[in-house]
Amino acid sequence: MNLASLAARNVLRNKFRAVLTVLGVAVAILTFLLLRTIVFAWTSGAEYASKDRVVTRHKITFVQPLPLRYINDVRAAPHIKVATYSNWFGGKDEKHDHEFFATLAIDPTTYFQVYDDVAVQKDQLDTFLHDPQAAIVGDVLAKKMGWKIGDKIILTSGIYPKIGDWDLHIVGIYEAKSKVVDRSTLLFRWDYLNDNLPQNRKDTIGWVVSRVDEPSQSASIGVALDKIFDEKETQTLSQDEHSFNASFLAMFSAILTAVDIISIVILVIMMLVLGNTIAMGVRERTNEYGVMKALGFSGSHIAMFIAVESMLIAALGGALGIALAYPFVQEGMGRWIEENMGSYFPYFRIDPKATVAAMFLALGLGGVAAAIPAYRASKLKVVDALRRVA
Amino acid sequence: MIPIRYNLRSLAVRKTTTVATALGIALVVFVLAAALMLSAGIKKTLGVSGRDDNAIVLRKGSDNELSSTLDVSAVNVILGAPGVKKDEKGVPLGVGEVIVVGAMEKIGASGFTNVQIRGVTENAMKFRPEVHVVAGQAPKPGSDEVMVGQRIRGRFKGTDLGESFDLRKNRPVKVVGVFEAGGSSFESEVWVDVDTLRASYSRGASTSSVRVRLDSPAAFDAFKMSIESDKQYGYLAMRETEYFEKQSSGTSTFVSALGTLISVFFSIGAMIGAMITMYAAVANRQREIGTLRALGFSRGSILTSFLLESIALAMIGGVVGVIASLGMGAVKFSMMNFASWSEIVFSFDPTPRIILTALLFAAGMGVLGGFFPAVRAARISPVTAMRGG
Repeated sequence: MNLASLAARNVLRNKFRAVLTVLGVAVAILTFLLLRTIVFAWTSGAEYASKDRVVTRHKITFVQPLPLRYINDVRAAPHIKVATYSNWFGGKDEKHDHEFFATLAIDPTTYFQVYDDVAVQKDQLDTFLHDPQAAIVGDVLAKKMGWKIGDKIILTSGIYPKIGDWDLHIVGIYEAKSKVVDRSTLLFRWDYLNDNLPQNRKDTIGWVVSRVDEPSQSASIGVALDKIFDEKETQTLSQDEHSFNASFLAMFSAILTAVDIISIVILVIMMLVLGNTIAMGVRERTNEYGVMKALGFSGSHIAMFIAVESMLIAALGGALGIALAYPFVQEGMGRWIEENMGSYFPYFRIDPKATVAAMFLALGLGGVAAAIPAYRASKLKVVDALRRVA
Repeated sequence: MIPIRYNLRSLAVRKTTTVATALGIALVVFVLAAALMLSAGIKKTLGVSGRDDNAIVLRKGSDNELSSTLDVSAVNVILGAPGVKKDEKGVPLGVGEVIVVGAMEKIGASGFTNVQIRGVTENAMKFRPEVHVVAGQAPKPGSDEVMVGQRIRGRFKGTDLGESFDLRKNRPVKVVGVFEAGGSSFESEVWVDVDTLRASYSRGASTSSVRVRLDSPAAFDAFKMSIESDKQYGYLAMRETEYFEKQSSGTSTFVSALGTLISVFFSIGAMIGAMITMYAAVANRQREIGTLRALGFSRGSILTSFLLESIALAMIGGVVGVIASLGMGAVKFSMMNFASWSEIVFSFDPTPRIILTALLFAAGMGVLGGFFPAVRAARISPVTAMRGG
């Protein structure tokens, strides 16, 4: 019998306590993965954002629009392959007054060229191009609101009030080809919006999105775009989608920091539970360690095999926690969140890297948790150990 | 009844185990209390922003001031509605304001953060008596002077007293004052003259919202009816308190839901810790328990005793956790409010109710973690216990 199998047998000596400890570690690892998944879902928007798309908007405030003619200046600029524009419409469905979803007025001909990760069937796109009141909605939104192709809906907007209603026809449902596409947006035609606005509000666009030919140069292409508009009436701020999302995320940095701290806290709790169990086991077995030492095992041998015992429990707990996380966090919560909170978290899945990190952390912290009991046991004097009664 | 001192001394004897377990519980209680305090702080900040006898009028279909557009002519229509209070000179009390969010450079962080900029009229401070200038002076009406809320003073580039920042290119505004507003969300805003703001962003003759003071809170229904009967424009009238409650509900629900969810998971871990400790306590004290039974203590009193010991253990953790969470009162938490797309600075608000909830939560962990071990203790037969163990 070698030390490792002796350690394994010690784990099973108090089966009930071992099971409880493994469960404790598993719950901690499960929670840790849940927290990492929240952070991952939040930041993946920036991580997976396309680097060849550059967003140009009002320099100071995104609620102020740009003049429509800016689109031509952008299209004429070097390195721009294709450019499109949209307006934030802020629409609401009167029948579902409390449901929030994004509504964008888009340029029907160029939008899907720029957003080629938004997938629409060809015949649906053709109808969209021919019907001025056409709208295309995300699959998650369509499911949530119970909308089907052919439905007529009425929207109201506080940003674009209209005498009479904004009547739209749902002609298509889009799907996502990448992880960053919000599947809960309603898209309709910008010309329908513009034709129904009072004279003083016509011909403005919320922002311009362009695809550039050299993604690695997108930062300097953005700077060049801003320079074109620097001397005009409205200045702009151009950022590639990646930095745009990153700066948006920065506004939530306090929450993300808090979640980061909390995920460390759960690991500390796990260590306390594990350390407690190991310390108890060591205290109860003081006599045996005395015997082992008398037989000639060195202090470091004993320390080693206490550490192995602790790491074994941690590994079992870690594996169980990861095994539970997939059905629970990914299939259960993740699916619910993607369907109901898709505008915030279009992609709520476990990061495989986090599971690897969780396993290593469990093993490492298992070793750390055993440090004090192991050190104490290794320093025991044979006589004291044999004399002591647990 | 076994004296509680017996349990407390038992806990003191096993110092390491007691400390480890109580610390685990303390961490759980800390996270729960801090999350609830933040959620309460969000509600408080946005809650005190509203007055019961104020009404706010927005464009129908908009959720907040930011997405609402009214024609300037609407201001006079709304001020003339029934129920609007008049001042000593017979002028109706009300303000029409323009709200935009500006991207500002946060000091000590990269990138931009959205800050709410409010275009105010001359009587803005008369309308809101809780607003006081605490440093510098109030901006001169019609000028390029601004004042900033004390919570954001100096947090962004150009927002400290005497500094200036650009509303648009070549249109700098100078910070001449800092104001407080009773802890409300206005303290996270920049206030600028409404015409300066309109001119900077070529907003033309538009307004985001109109607020009026009512004769009394009860005058609201008649006011609302009169305002909303104008079908041509489509106005939406709300009590200011109700408006801010709506503004805070998304963010505060998010924080408390996330906090509670995390705490429940954490508590399972800590409860398992308490269970392990209590099972060990029972196993190691078989002989003592046997003696107590032999002395005539009933199964019920053994059960109660061990349950109390577990609760005491959890309460040590609970108290430590609550005290630690009170320390968060000094921390300012800046976060984007989902409803207004701009950053608001919140603080952690400890209410007696939260402290009680957190302590009860700790006690609950003690009960759940200690119940099965206590049952096992109660089942010990005196004879076997005293013979073996």
